[in-house]
Amino acid sequence: MAASIRLLARRIVRDAFRTINSSVSVRIVSSSCPSNLSACRCFSDGAADKSTHFGFETVSEGEKAERVYKVFESVAQKYDVMNDAMSLGVHRLWKDMLLHVMNPQPGIRLLDVAGGTGDISFRFLNYVRSQQERVARRTARANQTPSWQEISTSYTTPTEGIEMETEARESRAVVCDINKEMLKVGKQKAESMGVSSGLSWVVGDAEELPFDDDQFDVYTIAFGIRNVTHIDLALQEAVRVLKPGGRFMCLEFSKVTNPLLARLYDAYSFQMIPVLGEVIAGDWKSYQYLVESIRKFPDQETFKQMIEDAGLFSVRYHNLTGGVVALHSGFKL
Amino acid sequence: MAALLQGLRVGRALRCLGSVVVPKTSSPQCNGLRRGLHCAALRLQEDKDKSIPVPPSSTASPTTTFHEHYQAHPSEHDTATPAQEAAAAEEAPQPNISYVDQSGEQGEDYETEEQLQVRILNAALDFVPLHGWTVEAISAGAETLGLSAASSGMFQNGAGDLVLHFIAQSNTQLTEQLAEHHNQVQLGQAEPKKTADFLRDAVETRLRMLTPYINNWPQALSILFLPHNIPNSLKHLSTLVDDIWYYAGDRSTDLNWYTKRAALTGIYNTTELVMVQDSSEDFQDTWNFLDNRIQDIANMADATKRVTSTGEAVVQGLMGAAVTLKNLTGINQRR
Repeated sequence: MAASIRLLARRIVRDAFRTINSSVSVRIVSSSCPSNLSACRCFSDGAADKSTHFGFETVSEGEKAERVYKVFESVAQKYDVMNDAMSLGVHRLWKDMLLHVMNPQPGIRLLDVAGGTGDISFRFLNYVRSQQERVARRTARANQTPSWQEISTSYTTPTEGIEMETEARESRAVVCDINKEMLKVGKQKAESMGVSSGLSWVVGDAEELPFDDDQFDVYTIAFGIRNVTHIDLALQEAVRVLKPGGRFMCLEFSKVTNPLLARLYDAYSFQMIPVLGEVIAGDWKSYQYLVESIRKFPDQETFKQMIEDAGLFSVRYHNLTGGVVALHSGFKL
Repeated sequence: MAALLQGLRVGRALRCLGSVVVPKTSSPQCNGLRRGLHCAALRLQEDKDKSIPVPPSSTASPTTTFHEHYQAHPSEHDTATPAQEAAAAEEAPQPNISYVDQSGEQGEDYETEEQLQVRILNAALDFVPLHGWTVEAISAGAETLGLSAASSGMFQNGAGDLVLHFIAQSNTQLTEQLAEHHNQVQLGQAEPKKTADFLRDAVETRLRMLTPYINNWPQALSILFLPHNIPNSLKHLSTLVDDIWYYAGDRSTDLNWYTKRAALTGIYNTTELVMVQDSSEDFQDTWNFLDNRIQDIANMADATKRVTSTGEAVVQGLMGAAVTLKNLTGINQRR
């Protein structure tokens, strides 16, 4: 009890310091972070001795995974509500943009890592279904005025073959998350929406996915990769489970390019978000961790380099909302 | 430290072996072992030449030997680099023995990416009659190459990339045929054609390349008219017309250069539109239309010559009349 109060007090003090000179210190800390990490890796032996960042704290790697788990366990019930409140609903546009850029064809398999409450997967299934309906409408309209050739071929060949082919190409989405609470919330959402077919829920660690090689056409990780302890391992796992030609897509908070917007964004992040967390979800610390972990994540170009190092090609990124969120995409060729 | 990293890598490779969830055949384990060795070899290579900032794939050339020893079955996409993958895909049924990619140059990745994109688009052309000029056609083409349908996301312009690729390819084919004919004429093996015939044949050859896709061609034209595609489509059209005139022997350097190309552009575009709605046997109506248009241009060239010569004659006549008038009225006489 006393420890948690001390922790809270430490956080409030740190927060107060941060509001004074937030942007300068954050950038310095974030730029020195990668060198610290690699230096630590070289010295130590076991996972318990290596240290990494948990927000602005330094913790051992083993501890980070555990603490991230606890964070999401506590926010799981109010996760969607908080997303809407913190981003003023804009997160829906970001996720829609992810789907729009993905432009999935019917019949592809999606792996949604750190999918938690399943936002991306639901959108994926809706998108593919509406596309299939559009194609069906188009073929129906085309069949209304068939050419002579089409009429003659329809007499000679059986039409069932074509319909069976389209049914066999049903798209499937797999939601994988390390946290059972988040998956539980997602399953409840699916039941309430009445979505049942084409969706599965799997518990798994992004650094060690429980899937075979060459399984999925698209791998997405939306707002999850900054919580992973070893990002390069997660990227390597992504390359492993993707089919050749498969696409890796990552939606994540990133560096804002415009300095004025950056100041506003920092002020909003550190002032408003933990307060909202406390008021709506009753959890200040988790949302403090959230905004700190955003600052610790590498910027767009660095992350693009990391993706290329993992072995993906044609890597590009789009900045959304002025750099608040970046959508990275790469292909396994 | 190198040994430590190598030990970690081998440990990870062994873990890959152990954590295979559903071992259907022996091939996943072989893949894991191969990847482990691949990674180990990469680490050794990277430790050796740290000075060169090298992406992992271009250090793969020394590891092709590992690759071959453990080649259990043809599909090697998950461990092969794109350079090796291109060779492997081309020889898919046989074991990969080619040493084509031993020279791991820095720029090879980018070249291979573009070559891969070209291959995907070529494969996608087969599906255009079925899906139209759309991203679905590109996805279907990618699938025939063994890639996932999601790789059509590489083409940011979507269907526009497919159409522009097709046009560029057709123009290149036409230019090669014209160059070939030109060479034969130089060598004396073929008769040089008259300009009108040459133009006619060139336009007909180029338009005949559209015949497999003629049902979907209006869709392609509409894609070419999109604002972000107009610069590219105009560029392709202008180079096409320029090439045809060049091989027709036009070396003009005055206003004729522009008028000739404008005329041929007009002929080509209108003939293309006629072809799109032509339902006659072997597009005979289109070729008749083309003949008539070329004849019009030839006639117009004659007519302009006649008009200028008539004009000159008329001007001279008027000058003569003016001088006669001046003589009659006595202005010319000096007092």
